[in-house]
Amino acid sequence: MDNKNKFDLHYFLSDASFENWAKGLNKNDITYWNNWIHNNPEHIEIVENAKSIITGINFNQHYPSNEKIDQALASVLPKVDITSSTKTKFKNTHTINRTIITAAAAVLLVLISYTSYSYLNNSSTTNHKTNFGEIIDLKLPDGTSVVLNGNSEIWYKKDNPRLINLKGEAYFKVKSIPSTNAKFWVITEDLKVEVLGTQFHVNTRKQKTNVVLDEGSIHLELKNGEVTKMIPGEMVSFSNESKELTHQKVDTETPYALWRGGTYAFNEIPLKEVMYNLETTYGVKVQYESEHLKDLPISGGIPNQNLQICIAAIEKATGTRITNKENILRVQENPIY
Amino acid sequence: MELHSDETIWYFFKKGESHGFSLLFKKYYPQLHVYGLKLSNNQELTEDCLQNFFIQLFENRERLGKINSLKAYLFVSFKRRLIKQLQKKQNNIPISEAQLFKTNFTFSIEEISIKQEIQFLCTSTLATLINQLSPRQKEAIYLKYYSEMPTTDIAEVMDMNYQSVLNTLQKAIKKLRIASENQQIKTILKKS
Repeated sequence: MDNKNKFDLHYFLSDASFENWAKGLNKNDITYWNNWIHNNPEHIEIVENAKSIITGINFNQHYPSNEKIDQALASVLPKVDITSSTKTKFKNTHTINRTIITAAAAVLLVLISYTSYSYLNNSSTTNHKTNFGEIIDLKLPDGTSVVLNGNSEIWYKKDNPRLINLKGEAYFKVKSIPSTNAKFWVITEDLKVEVLGTQFHVNTRKQKTNVVLDEGSIHLELKNGEVTKMIPGEMVSFSNESKELTHQKVDTETPYALWRGGTYAFNEIPLKEVMYNLETTYGVKVQYESEHLKDLPISGGIPNQNLQICIAAIEKATGTRITNKENILRVQENPIY
Repeated sequence: MELHSDETIWYFFKKGESHGFSLLFKKYYPQLHVYGLKLSNNQELTEDCLQNFFIQLFENRERLGKINSLKAYLFVSFKRRLIKQLQKKQNNIPISEAQLFKTNFTFSIEEISIKQEIQFLCTSTLATLINQLSPRQKEAIYLKYYSEMPTTDIAEVMDMNYQSVLNTLQKAIKKLRIASENQQIKTILKKS
């Protein structure tokens, strides 16, 4: 490749470490790029240009005040015809809302670098597995969509693609087959989920299984033989080890399984729970400077498509400082707050 | 760092939830408001147009296809709508975008702050210099540094390819840098 063409503006601008150098942010990056420039003096002009583009111009943004925005919103809201979607949800229990699916699918296409693998072994089992921090969008042979979160696995026999084994965390949009009333099952270490057409979320981490139902209706068959029915907006947790079963109402406005769209949504969840999510999806370890930090509450959405962004959002939401050293995250007090 | 990503907001908006509408409105009303003011120089027209824009966006939400970048999509569609309104106001005389930018797109001294790169210019000089840039250069600078838009989005809003956006930005910044360097030399000469 022609070197002159390779080192164009785009080459430098798309490199995160170059951006750090230009902004004087990261010691390693600064050393690296200073050396690079020393060894490649012929590119100094383009390096300078790229640097100027990154540093750019500082504007004081004069945006309308919050009161003005709220006023404008208040005057617009009566003019839009907003129907509460939760009401319609209950009505068509066994149909899958098409618009939600396309929206969710489109989002996933943008966010996810697709690196799944499927393999067959001797007993003709299909297997899908994700690495840490990876989310994949799958279509099962019967038309059911599955979004598999990081560090998770599903497998099923080829001759029965509606009987799924799950380890980790996944979101299911089950395709209903009205003609035969064919059922769909998800099996975890703790329980079995029996489904008609529906949308739900299963998480088997933490030595227990959480199931959150968005739409439709499902039956859970627990390992101890007990059967329980779920209604939309409900979360059921069961651990085979402790034999503990809990029903809990979850916030349907921000679905529990929103990680599939690139965001974890939390409602007054203690920091330690959130960090546990990071440990399981990204394979990092978390340490706390002091015990009380573990219980800081987090509300709102945390973007999860990238560990760096995720950490920055959590720091902001809790007013802590989190450093990442060789995959060990250290949570500290932030003296600024 | 915002708590709700565009993907989340768009997901709820398309679902037709009031929560989604409010999130989208609160996030993008301010940005589009300033962009509209820059384009039209007319507050009343901008605000009317912006309100209707959000209402129509909501009504048409189910017909909207796949959107790569929500921000770029909103900027482009709002710009188109605003330009149409401006034309209507001027008795349907077609106005080109370039024309608009020449007369309207200006930055005030208060909007500009100085940092290391161009520190030898005072805000008023820098404002004058930026306002003298070509219409396309001004818009690129605005979208990049005021609206903090990624280059791929700018390409979409300005209907240019990625490389042309980079070239436009580069030229604009270069002009400012050279002016800054000249100023620096002048200052040094004065001192000695």
